[in-house]
Order: sequence, then C-alpha cells, then structure tokens
Amino acid sequence: MNEEAKREGVHLEARGFSVFYGAHEAVCKVDLAVPCGLVTAIIGPSGCGKSTFLRAINRMNDLIPGCRAAGDLLFDGQNVYGPEVDAAVLRRRVGMVFQKPNPFPKSIYDNVAYGPRLHDRCTRGELDTIVEQSLVNAALWDEVKDRLHMNALGLSGGQAQRLCLARALAVKPEILLMDEPTSALDPKATARIEELIVQLRGRYTIAIVTHNMQQAARVSDRTAFFYEGNLVEFDATETLFTRPREKRTEDYITGRFG
Amino acid sequence: MRLRLRKLMDHALTAGGYLAIGGMALFLLWVLVPVFSKGFGAYVFRGTVEHRRMMLGEFGRGDLDRLRAELAEVWRAREPVYQAVAAFERELDAMPAARRKVLKPAFREVREGVTVLLGPEPGVPLPALTRRLYGQTRWEKAREKADDILFEETWEYSDAGSRRVLVPRAPQFEGTALAPVFDSVERNLEKMMRPRLTVYPRFLTDRSIDAHFFGGIGPEVLGTLYLSLGAMLVAVPLGIVAAVYFQEYAKEGPGVAFLRSCVNTLAGVPSVVFGLFGLAFFINTLRVSPGKSVLAGALTLALLVLPTVIRASEEAIAAVPRAFKEGAMALGAGRFRTVATVILPAALPGILTGIVISMGRAAGETAPIIFTAAVSVGQMVKPSEVLSQPTPALSWNLYNLCTEHEAVEELRHVQFGMAATLVLIVLALNLAAILLRARVARRLKG
Amino acid sequence: MLLSPGARLRRRLAELAGRGILCSITSVAALAVLAIIFFIARDAVPFFAQVGVREFFLSPEWYPAHQPPHFGAAAIFAGSVLVTAAAVLLAVPLGLFAALCMSDVLPFGVRQILKPVIEMLAAIPSVIYGFFALTVVAPLMQNAGSWLPGQFEIASGVNALTASLILGVMALPTIVSVSEDALQAAGRELREGSYALGATRAETLFKVVIPASVSGLFSAVLLGVMRAMGETMVVWMASGNAAQIPQPWYNLLQPVRTLTATIAGDMGEADQMTGSAHYHVLFAMGLCLLLVSFACNLAGEWIVARQRKRLRGG
Repeated sequence: MNEEAKREGVHLEARGFSVFYGAHEAVCKVDLAVPCGLVTAIIGPSGCGKSTFLRAINRMNDLIPGCRAAGDLLFDGQNVYGPEVDAAVLRRRVGMVFQKPNPFPKSIYDNVAYGPRLHDRCTRGELDTIVEQSLVNAALWDEVKDRLHMNALGLSGGQAQRLCLARALAVKPEILLMDEPTSALDPKATARIEELIVQLRGRYTIAIVTHNMQQAARVSDRTAFFYEGNLVEFDATETLFTRPREKRTEDYITGRFG
Repeated sequence: MRLRLRKLMDHALTAGGYLAIGGMALFLLWVLVPVFSKGFGAYVFRGTVEHRRMMLGEFGRGDLDRLRAELAEVWRAREPVYQAVAAFERELDAMPAARRKVLKPAFREVREGVTVLLGPEPGVPLPALTRRLYGQTRWEKAREKADDILFEETWEYSDAGSRRVLVPRAPQFEGTALAPVFDSVERNLEKMMRPRLTVYPRFLTDRSIDAHFFGGIGPEVLGTLYLSLGAMLVAVPLGIVAAVYFQEYAKEGPGVAFLRSCVNTLAGVPSVVFGLFGLAFFINTLRVSPGKSVLAGALTLALLVLPTVIRASEEAIAAVPRAFKEGAMALGAGRFRTVATVILPAALPGILTGIVISMGRAAGETAPIIFTAAVSVGQMVKPSEVLSQPTPALSWNLYNLCTEHEAVEELRHVQFGMAATLVLIVLALNLAAILLRARVARRLKG
Repeated sequence: MLLSPGARLRRRLAELAGRGILCSITSVAALAVLAIIFFIARDAVPFFAQVGVREFFLSPEWYPAHQPPHFGAAAIFAGSVLVTAAAVLLAVPLGLFAALCMSDVLPFGVRQILKPVIEMLAAIPSVIYGFFALTVVAPLMQNAGSWLPGQFEIASGVNALTASLILGVMALPTIVSVSEDALQAAGRELREGSYALGATRAETLFKVVIPASVSGLFSAVLLGVMRAMGETMVVWMASGNAAQIPQPWYNLLQPVRTLTATIAGDMGEADQMTGSAHYHVLFAMGLCLLLVSFACNLAGEWIVARQRKRLRGG
C-alpha cells in the first residue's frame, strides 16, 4: 500500500499510532505514510477521527486535557511525541490552517509577521519581504497590498482564510496541515483555496482533511479513508475513487452512508 | 538560545500565576481564620462563676441551688481579699501622710481592680451600671484583670525607644494588710472564679446588657434579618417584573436602551450615596417614618440590590430554552400566560440564586443603613415597630463596637462574635447560591 | 379561528395594557437613578449656593464645626484619589495575572474550585475587612515601623497604606472575575491559531489573547476602580481619618481622609442640623462621588460599544 510513497520519499509516517480521549480510542493504531511534496487528503464520515489524527501531527491535541497518544508518529525519522521534541519548535515545521478562519485582531501585516517575529530575529526589511512573499503565495497580496496595516478583522471569510494560509506559510513550514479549510467558505472562495493548494503542491507536503469528496478528488494526489478511527484504505486518489479495494470505501464514496 | 528564553518566560508566567492565586487564598484564610476562631470564642468559652451569676440575675437562667452552693465556696476564697482591702483602708487612714500619699493611688487601683475582677462585695450598696454588678464573666478576661492587680504598667524610655514594663505591686505593700490580696489573687484565682467550659449558643439571640458588656447580639441579628428580608420584599417583585419586561416584552430601541443604561448606572452608585439618598428621599421627603427606621433602611437597601436581582433574573430568563416558550405559544397560550406558567417556573432556580446572593449583600452592607436605619444601642425591634423604629444591625454595630464604643478593648470577644456571625450568614447564603447554581447548570445540561 | 373585531381589539388592548404596566414598573426601577441624582443634587446645591465652589475644591482647610466653619475639601479629595489609585495599582496587576492564570494556566478542576473561592472573597462584607484592618493589619503595620530598615517612622497603623492594601484586596475579586470572562471570550480558535504557529503559552497570552480582550480587561479595571472609590467602611476604619494631604504626596504612611469616610462619619452629627451648611456639604461630596461613578459607567459603556463595533470589522 505504501510502496509508492516509499519511493517518493516519506515525510511523515504513522506506525500503530493511536489517540485516546480519556479511555475512548478516537484514532486506532493507524499505519500511514504521508509522501513528501504531495497533497494527501483524509476523508471519512463525521467522527471518524480524521481531524483528531491531523491535529495529532502538530500536537495540537496537547491542548486538550485528557488527550494522549500511543504508538509512533515519525516526522523525518523522529517521533513527534518523543520526550526531546518541543511542541513549539515542531509547530514551526508543521503548520496548520483551521476550519474557521481565525485572524488575530491585529493588522494584516502583523498577522503574517507574527510567526517570523516569534522565531527569528528579523530586520524590518526581511520581515517586509517575508510578509509580501507569504501573501503572494496565498494569492492575497494584490488585494491587500495597499492596506497592510488595516485590521485583519475587516476581511471577508475567503480573504481571512487566505490570510491564515499566508500566516502559516510565513514561518516556512515543511508540512502544511489543513483541517477542513473551506467548509466555512462560499463556493467562490472555496475554489480559490483549492487553486492555491494545487499551486503549493511540490513546495510543501500538504495533508488536508475534508468531508467533501469532490474536493479530495480535485486537489489531492493521495487519499486516506478513515472510518470509526481506523484507516480503511490509503491509495492514489484516482485509484481510490474509481477502483476502491474495500467495500466500506466504496459504500462511502457512493454515498451509501456518511 | 532564544527558545530557552521563551520557555523561561513561559515558566515564569505559570509560577507567577500560581503565586497570585496562592496569595489570594492565603489572604482569605488570614482574614477568616481569626474571625472564626475568635468569634467561636463568643459562643464557647471558659466562663466564670460571675457569668453564671449574671445569667441568673439578668436572664433568669440557671440552677439557683447549685449556684448558691458554688457561691458559698467562692466566698470562702474571696473573703480574705475583701477583708484585706477593708483592713488596709483602715490602716491607710492611720498612716503618716507621706506614706499615705505614696500608697493611696496604688491602693485605689488595686481596689478598683478587685471590684472589676470579682464584682462588688456582697452587702455593699449595688452600683447603678449593670456592668459593675458582676465581676469578670470570662476566664481569659479574669486573668487579664488579675494581672492588672498584680502588676503595674510603666514605660521605660531608652535610646532604642519606649518599652512597656510590668512592675509587681506586691513589694510595695509588703507587710501591710493588703499583702494577702496579691497572694490570693496569684494563687487562688481559680477558686475565686471557678472557670468552666461554657457553651452559650443563645449569644445569637439574647439581648445585650449594658452596651454589650453582657448578653448577646440578638437585636443586631434580628435587625440584619429585618433589613435584608425587607429589602428583598421590595427588590424581588420589582426586579423580576423588570427582568421579564426586558427579556420578553421590550422592543429594542432608544427608550429601552435608556432604561437598561439606568439599571447599569444604578449598579455603580457608591453605597454611601445610597445612604444619602435614603436620608434625603425616604426620610426627609417622603417621610415614610419620623426618623430612622427599618422601613427606610430596607427601602434603601432594596435599591442597592435591585440591579443584581434584575441582572440575575434576566440571565435566568434568557437561559430558558426557546423551545419551552415556543411550545407554549404554539398551544395557543398568550404571552403573559407563557411567561407566568412556563418561563418563570423554569427560570426560578436561577432567579433564586440571584435573590440569595443579593440577600447576602444586603445583610452585609453598612453605609446605606447608617443614616436610614441603624442605631448603636437598642433592644430588639418588635415586628409592629418595624415601620417606625430604627434598629441595631450586625454590620453597623460591629463598626460601632470596635471604634466609637467606650470600651473597645473590653469587648473584643463580642466584636469577633458579631463578625463571625455576620460572615457566617453571608457565606452560608453565598454557598447556598453556588450550590443552587450548580444544580441549575446540571439540570439545564440534562 | 378568526376573532371578531371586538375580541381582537380587546386582546390588543390587554396586551398593550400588560406591556404598559410592565414598562411602568420597570421604569420605576430605572428611574431610581434619576431620582438619586435629583435628590442628591437638590441637597448639594444649597451648599454651593451658600459657600461657593472655590473653597470646596481648592482649600485643604476642613473645619466644618469651627466658628466660622471652613469647608475646604481639597485634602479629602486628595485622600480619596490617593487611596483609590494605590488600591488599583495593587489590584490590577495582581488581578490580571490571577485571571490569566485561571483562564489559561490552571487545570480545569482547580479553576472550578477557585471560582467560588473568589466569589466568596467578594461576598465578605466591607465592615469585616475594615474590622480585620483595624484589629490585625494596623497593629502589624505599627510594629513594622520598628523592624523595617531605613527611616520609616510609622506613627500610626491606620494610614493610607493600610486602607489601600485592604481596598486593593476588595477590588481584586471583581477584577479577576470580569477579566477572566473577558479572556475566555477571546475564544479557543484564536489561541489555537497562535499555538499552531509555534508560540509558547506566555507568548500566546501576551501577544494575542490579551490584545484581543483589551476592552473587557479595561472594563474590569474600571469596575475595580469604582469599587475602590465607592468603598466606605474600610477607609473609615483603616485610613486614619485625618483631613490632610500627605507630605510628600506619595507618602502612604500618613493618615488620610476620603470622601466616603467623611460623609459616613460626619452625617451622624450633621443629621441633627438638617439644613445646615455641614449637612449640605456632605451632599455636595456625595454628588461628586455620584458624578465620578457616572463618568466611569459611561466610559465602560463606550468601551463595550466600541468593542462590539470593532468585532464586526470596523
């Protein structure tokens, strides 16, 4: 199942990885290798653990009391949950865009510059460059270049989500996690984000959780299907959607449930 | 390196936060522990025979026969002291003037000390003030007064400042008729006072004798009860009606916004200004009573707690699930009927929480009642007098007792007793409110 | 199912009447404020008419019982300002810190226990705090003068510092609970956005959460100020009640007098002479207190309105 991924270089690998909320096992012993530089979609019905798995990658689940992980989650060979791993440093290399756009109540400039300011000592010029580059990569630069110092709360939903993307890109992560990034947006804004994902492919490894199968089919190279905490099937997107191997996958794709 | 600094700041924040919280908790303990422990001493203490005499004499409580037997024994221990005092008085008259001049003031202090400690000698005409009818009723106070007899307090001045020094009196009177007094007081104090563990729960309800020298805090407790209940009687209907109006009937607009603003402003008025208003409006203008009265005080307090009642009721009403209201209206109930039969009952626990908290607030407030209802000395106000008579109250009288009273140091135990009682009442009410709120939250979550 | 016109009219009238009654009763509650302004002002104006404004605000000579009486309240105003400012200076940093701790640092279970504890702290009546200040803090402070290094001469344990300390503690619970609500209201998503960018907890709190809650925190501070300023019993019992401006002005170890304590203390005697200048000057002080509290209220409402506008994306 993962031979192709291995050939392409594995960026992130889960081996027997589980996440528990208290006694409840939300993610059950998942084996998954996320390939480098490609877009991997994670689909499945509500409550199947896909968001939990995604959030486990950059240890956002640490913020939830009572949540713990078991098994291995290897990022560049190192266990993400190892004792020497510092979450703050990890999250610099693994960025995240959330379902609901959450711009800080600061200026657009300060939003994007927030990450770099935390981690590096940049001169003003360097910051300007980073901000501009990130906004360009997020296809927001043209719309906001004249009002960089206006409050980010005035942006529309789609713009705000692109701002959050620019913000995540500004720290130059290696992996970009996206947790249902377009479910709160209108179709036009959704299309723009999907365009961006395709553009960012190659430069970043992207893992996107989505409940929209068509979206997964449109933007991703690989797709993983989760069901009730288990990874049911992981394959090239085209293969999974046209010739799924598992019955449950086929049932989900054809809309028999979920 | 930068990361280490960031981590350090993070840990500093955590530590600082725990320190702040810990500091607050410690402070709370620092305030409450002495209040409760010393306040407890007003109800449970080592009482002397004088206390039992006082109980019988003033309240008619106690076993007369047992007391008589006790008094007989006590007299045996005290007789030498009284006799020595009388003997020395005769001796003093016969002394040379120079010696007399030296000893007389000291003797007067000793004699006064004996009267204060043991009470007046039997057979001597009774003093007018009740407080002088009996000796020390509390054992710790008796020991203090005994020290006053045995030692003289002087000040020693030196370069480092002044220092209090206790000089024994006995040497001064050695060889005189007064000498046995010191010996007796030092060695037979227990036999003279017969201290015993006394439980005095009626401290809560007894009237006070002679400005709190004896007796209990009943008038104050009753006054506090009258005032807070009275305040709630006015504030609760007004508050619930206002809350219902704001939540169910009012259409948002400038008028309603103004009314809401008024209620918020009312919440911010300083408590002493409420007192001034009560004086100027209820007493001087409306003349609800000829002078200070429970009525005026209750009305003033009602205004003070009104915003809290309104706010709590509004929250409670807003928290009632819309489904209830819609269900009732879908069945054809008019708005008023829906409110009265569905919404208010559902909001009742929340409203009750607000009421209980407000009652606690009303019970503890002092400034609003200083000019409108409170009196420093008084007996228990009868229900029929509530509309026209002022009343003592725990909050006001605690202040009065520890500042303006003539014998502040003497009555520390009463002060602590009042403080503990007041705190207990308020905390009990608040605890009830918290438990109520928890129950409401559990119920709403299903 | 359809009502006759008569019945419809009756029902409408009934509803209007009901609404009218409720509105009038509510108005009584609300108009109490206007009544308070009116009656306080009514009894305050005669003072200004009789004695004038300059002496009251500018002169520190407060001898209302002398012949001729002097009503210079400048020292008393200074006392109020000093004590309130010192209390707020103590309570705000501590309170904000504690609120931060409660909302983001402490585990949930501890927070649940702590909230009622803070409510209890707020519920303790002010006269108890005053009693505590008088019986415990004042003697401690008086003795402290002897073993503290330097030239601290603490003449009396009841002074501006004692009063400010206790006032600060009294204002703390208000500041903590309102701040905590404001911090919570910033929302989980905001915090997650910051953490996801690799920020530590301290950075998230100071760079994102606090800026987002600034107006709520401001309201908390304002409420704390109002609590400290309007407090009567603690200052009456613990501040020393000397109508003098401390030398130098920041010397908290000297006794001061506040407006609230003056009103509470003097009205007892002044009450005998309702209608005298002494009586009216106390109302004048009350009017000043009232106006300041109104100003604070207005400031608070303005902040809330501005925040609401900003959140909508102004």
